[in-house]
Amino acid sequence: MSKNEISDSQLVTLYRNGDEEAFSTLLNRHKNRVYTTIYLIVKDRYVAEDLLQDSFIKAVKTIKSGRYNEEGKFLPWILRIAHNLAIDYFRKEKRYPVVVMEDGSKVFNTLEFAEDPIENKQIKMETHQMLRQLIQELPEAQKEVLIMRHYMQMSFQDIADSTGVSINTALGRMRYALINLRKRMQQTSIAYDKNIYRK
Amino acid sequence: MTKTFTENDLIRYVYGETSEIENNEIESALLCDSEVQEQFAQLLEITQQLSGVNYFPSENSVKNILDKAKELNLQSIAK
Repeated sequence: MSKNEISDSQLVTLYRNGDEEAFSTLLNRHKNRVYTTIYLIVKDRYVAEDLLQDSFIKAVKTIKSGRYNEEGKFLPWILRIAHNLAIDYFRKEKRYPVVVMEDGSKVFNTLEFAEDPIENKQIKMETHQMLRQLIQELPEAQKEVLIMRHYMQMSFQDIADSTGVSINTALGRMRYALINLRKRMQQTSIAYDKNIYRK
Repeated sequence: MTKTFTENDLIRYVYGETSEIENNEIESALLCDSEVQEQFAQLLEITQQLSGVNYFPSENSVKNILDKAKELNLQSIAK
């Protein structure tokens, strides 16, 4: 069986027993998801890179010390670590996430897609580029729920518990986040089309 | 047929958090209620687009993590 077919919990066990390649597989499997979650919170590529390293190193230390006990739930666990470190970063800096337009992402970050005709790739890239900006423009409470549910894969009940609101409030925030994003995507697409086809 | 679920329930359905009974009810509505079909299609479209939003760490960061993991592995073997 190749390492790619092995479950996260088996990889954790292998790494705890000294198999370095097992950790490499775990890292490659989850690094983009963890990095995306951090980046959407801190909006700074260099801070996100540091926090990604801190998250995985914290995970490694916990595994190696025998304190890891979330069998089969490695991804939610490391996403929780990453999220907490990202929030701590704002607390230490005595500043909080602010709604700003994202810049520089075209230069520093690339997008990866499944095999697709070139036109589709271009459309998808523009759609995702637009979405990245619109996510940052969401009200903070909506953005928080969106990141926790969609990228951290937390359940709505867990989100409600960790943010101190009812599950209906968490769901309502998610609903408004999705409605807002969709509405803004449509508005932006219309404006974009008008610019392209202007006579 | 009277619809008893809400838009919030439809979001829970999209994220796989509804019960078997709720699934049956929503799936029945999806077969015959054009309003629910449209809501569902819109939710699906935006959530699929969100899944395409990815950022990628630098190779340097990945290498640093692997180096540190290797170092900690060697330390634990030496103990």
